Amino acid sequence: MREDRKVTDLRVELRAWLAENVPKDWRTQQAGDNIEGFLASQREWLSRLVKGGYATPHWAPEWPGGGRSLAEQVAIFEEIARADAPRMSLFFVSLYHAAMTLMECGTPEQRARHLPAILKGEIWCQGFSEPNAGSDLASLRTRAERKGDRYIVSGQKIWSTLGQFADQCLLLVRTDNSGPKQVGITFLLMDMKSKGVQARPIKQITGDEEFAEIFLDEVEIPVENRVGEENEGWKVAQVTLSSERGLTLVELTERLALSLWRLVEAATANGHEIDRLDVEVRRRVVDIASRIEALRAMIATLMANRMAGREAVGDASIIKLAYARLSRDFTALGLRLRGMAAQRDTRYVLGAGYETGNWMFDFMNSYQYNIAGGSNEIQRNIVSERVLMMPREKLA
Amino acid sequence: MSGVDAMNTIDQEELRDAARRLLTDKVDRRAPWGEGEADGRALVRDMVELGWHLLTAPEELGGLGQSFTALAPIYEEMGRALAPATLADTMAALDVISLDDSVAGAALRDRLIEGSAHIVVAECGSLGPRIDTTFPLLEGGLAATHLLLLPTAAEESCGIVDLGREGVTATPVETWDRSRSFAELALHDAPCERLQVTGGVAIPLVRAHKDLAMAWDSLGAARRSLDETVTYMGTRQQFGRPIGSFQALKHRAADHKVTLELARALAVHASQAYALRDGAWSDLAAQARLLATDAFHAITEDSVQMHGGIGFTWEFDCHLFLKRALMSDILNGAPELVRDRISSSVIARALRRE
Repeated sequence: MREDRKVTDLRVELRAWLAENVPKDWRTQQAGDNIEGFLASQREWLSRLVKGGYATPHWAPEWPGGGRSLAEQVAIFEEIARADAPRMSLFFVSLYHAAMTLMECGTPEQRARHLPAILKGEIWCQGFSEPNAGSDLASLRTRAERKGDRYIVSGQKIWSTLGQFADQCLLLVRTDNSGPKQVGITFLLMDMKSKGVQARPIKQITGDEEFAEIFLDEVEIPVENRVGEENEGWKVAQVTLSSERGLTLVELTERLALSLWRLVEAATANGHEIDRLDVEVRRRVVDIASRIEALRAMIATLMANRMAGREAVGDASIIKLAYARLSRDFTALGLRLRGMAAQRDTRYVLGAGYETGNWMFDFMNSYQYNIAGGSNEIQRNIVSERVLMMPREKLA
Repeated sequence: MSGVDAMNTIDQEELRDAARRLLTDKVDRRAPWGEGEADGRALVRDMVELGWHLLTAPEELGGLGQSFTALAPIYEEMGRALAPATLADTMAALDVISLDDSVAGAALRDRLIEGSAHIVVAECGSLGPRIDTTFPLLEGGLAATHLLLLPTAAEESCGIVDLGREGVTATPVETWDRSRSFAELALHDAPCERLQVTGGVAIPLVRAHKDLAMAWDSLGAARRSLDETVTYMGTRQQFGRPIGSFQALKHRAADHKVTLELARALAVHASQAYALRDGAWSDLAAQARLLATDAFHAITEDSVQMHGGIGFTWEFDCHLFLKRALMSDILNGAPELVRDRISSSVIARALRRE
């Protein structure tokens, strides 16, 4: 497929910019458990991207850096991955989920209040999942009572990415219990400094603290912070959830593909020469490499179909399952090849995705892609029922 | 997810429809499992009548000048129908002979275009003017009129044996996979004409073409097997509900679908790369074949299990697919050996961070 001239030009310009602007030492800066270093380097990276005009390609054209086509957005994510630049971990929810929700469903006042702030580094988190509402999100129970011009909110949220650092929260609450569970949900914007909000980091099996639980005890939220109508928040939430349009997987796959050399490095680290590697190891590397190439091709097709408006039902689930399985197999192989050295290697790099080079960390972390955003089991239900059209199971 | 194809003037989906019509009409996949046996000769004639052999032949020679991607839907449909004939050897040979200027090459090219030559390809060691050897199991060996010999010595030129001449005996061989036709080809002092094109040039092209043809064949058959299994599970009732509503089965089917689509995506990509001889086309073709035959194997193996007792019967069609898959796995080299063949260059590309 020939690439649009505009996209090719963008790549050239962006490569030059990245060569100048990617902090050379970001891995060292983010290494270890120095959270202050992580926050500072993420802030610095955001401000460079905003200045360069590459943080907001998906925003409406009237915003700086906005109005880029999906093809250009894909190119930006690919080039950033290829330049081995840091990921946008801390600001991803702000730039995508929050900004797109406000642009599509927010009031002019909400947009004016938050969009410029997001460009300056306002951090958002998502308050959707609850301890008893994970895959079955619509069964959420955090209560909001309307009192005059405020909602009084009590309940508990969980799995908010980097919620412990957030200034603002995209919050789903229940305002009506009488009908079907999708009805009666309301979408609110919550200031994390409000009285009664407590965010506590969750320590993952990696040792990292990338998520938070949020406890809400009679938190007052002004009615003007509601997005959409009362009891119609489920529709708004769909906008939030589809805001990144597959770009995360584009980026993750590209980073995975470009870290294939780490497998070879892991296999040769114990003094083995590449040509003398065990034949079974070489075969397994070929297998992983083939699946990576296939996944790249699959994502390119998905994005092309999205651009042409002809995406088929379930395509995204198929890709997510393929990526999830590959991420586990890739890291499991690296872990195995690195042998005892991997068992002793306890340092890690925050916000790096796959490329920490710490195989135990990466392997443990691969569960994230198998669970978050709709677990493998949910995706398999979608593929079997909506793609293969197998009989549905009765759901409660 | 179908591939976008800007390289050809003939629409891929039209080719697919035409192929499906012919194959639905002419192939009775049960026939070799009763009294009859798989004999691809009639089907080869039908395919030639429709001009499939002209698709990728150069226009200046009377061909249609399409790229490899025009053949992909045809190979896929042939797999779907469990077609007893092979087209891939002839078409792969055409990719090689198009590069050849020898007298023997030109004569064979004319006959290929005319539709009167069908080729079977084999790799061999060194070649003399006369050949004395036996190929114990060649697919399409009965329907073939010529044998194209590819010497593994890179500098040596390829050879052509006219199978209609003296010293050639082709004997049908029965195999567990009855959906294909195999022959033992014995050459006793058979005359061999030399081409100009060398083994070093021809072997990568033929391997890539045949790898891709096998990938598409496997994808077509695997998809059919999965579809038929899913349909069966939607009708078979146990405990008062269709067994296809049990998650234990649904999730396995979903996993097979993912494996299949992943393999298909690589086949599309690798076919375009081969059509343009672009980038790592030779590795990609082998990789596409590996993912596709692995998926085909996994799906058909599980299909028998998901059908339960009936899947274990001769009468039901699960074993047709399973036996073809087990043959496809090793037909052009066992998957381990294909991995070994490409591992150095795949590892080198990984180290270059491509």
